Amino acid sequence: MIRNLQIICFSLLIQIFNSCNTTKNVSKEYPRMIGDIAFDEKIDSTEFKLCNNDSLVVQYYAFTKIVGGKTYLDEKYEVEKIFEKNYNHKIVKKESGNIRIRFLVNCKGVSGRYRIIGMDKNYKEKHFDTSITNQLLSITQRLVKWKPFIKNNIQRDYYQYLIFKIEKGELIEILP
Amino acid sequence: MKLKYYFIAIFFTLNFCLVFSQDNCNVFLMKGDSCRYKACKFLEESPDYFQLTQKYMEIKDKAIEMCPEYALVYKQKSTAFLKTGDFINWKTLIDKAVKLNPKENLNYRGWCRFQFFRDYKGAIQDIEELDRIVDYDIGYCQNGDYHLNIAKGLCYKMLGKKVKAIQIIKNQIEKDTTCQGLYDHLHLGVLFLETNDYEKAINEFKKQSKINEIAETYYYQALAFKKIKNQEKYSRDIKKAQELYLSKKYMIDIYTHHIDKIYLQDIQNEIEKNQD
Repeated sequence: MIRNLQIICFSLLIQIFNSCNTTKNVSKEYPRMIGDIAFDEKIDSTEFKLCNNDSLVVQYYAFTKIVGGKTYLDEKYEVEKIFEKNYNHKIVKKESGNIRIRFLVNCKGVSGRYRIIGMDKNYKEKHFDTSITNQLLSITQRLVKWKPFIKNNIQRDYYQYLIFKIEKGELIEILP
Repeated sequence: MKLKYYFIAIFFTLNFCLVFSQDNCNVFLMKGDSCRYKACKFLEESPDYFQLTQKYMEIKDKAIEMCPEYALVYKQKSTAFLKTGDFINWKTLIDKAVKLNPKENLNYRGWCRFQFFRDYKGAIQDIEELDRIVDYDIGYCQNGDYHLNIAKGLCYKMLGKKVKAIQIIKNQIEKDTTCQGLYDHLHLGVLFLETNDYEKAINEFKKQSKINEIAETYYYQALAFKKIKNQEKYSRDIKKAQELYLSKKYMIDIYTHHIDKIYLQDIQNEIEKNQD
């Protein structure tokens, strides 16, 4: 009887140990949602606040959507014009590839927590010169007409991203 | 007539969703492929989570553990990265899927390279490679808007090879008159317009309007009439473009913006230019 109890306790302990281990490994690998941007006090402004909890942030893709209307006032047209006017390719290093800036837009249409990744033409990670990334980031931060996203009559915070196609330092296209 | 095209579009969208979401596991069983069969059954019996979630990824990882050679799972995992613009992780995963099963994944990788990253050369490579390795029709793109040959034509256009683009798109339209895409004639018309062949452009825009009436068609048709100095038809069409745009009848996609898409501001600029 005592021996049986010992075996059961031992098995339970192994199971608990295994489950803890698994959970730890998985949560280390994936965030709540792919691409989640947690607040980082070293780089993020404390002035930017989400209206709801981080776990309630929704995903948004293009600027135009079938239901719910566009996310940027005056559509992608205006975003392109702003970059066309403000991005100066003459002062940058002549590098090529894609740069993605992903960020959050809160329920008031204010953006924050910007994150940058870059790739070369073979989709390999690339760190672009700051003469390019600083300009792109600064112009992105100056886009102020993000529209609040309303779902079920509740204003929600959402993720948005821009991809910049760069050819020898020149901004060729803005996606998505 | 238009209804027919809407039904075709809906059919393709649903078809792609179903095909993409899950295989028929019994096919693996019949082939004696127990590795993929087990992983497939596991996925079939697992709860459905939103593609970006941690739980969705955990389930896919377990399926990969069960059968690391099962291409579909890598493709499914890749989608979350695609939708968040993470080109690096997306490419790593979709490359794995293509390596394991090129015939079933080159179409998707090629299309996504075009749609999401405007990687025209890469998209052409994938579509042409698929064409080379299969002896059946290479089929349609993920969202059902185009046959992959039309997408290939658009890639050539964006690389500046407009004559080649016209040839590819024209051939595809003539090859399959029963199942044309939502915007095929519009793109062909714009290509004719850009190569100064205005009569042919107008002819294509007329065909487009019969299939799917959108603001873009009338906007470009107005530009063609302007070029041949038909002021009356120019004014008529530019107003029609504005009207359709305000009624939300324009090129639209949930994830990206189409080639040849216009915005309300483009129409308004044209109207103002004409008033000057």
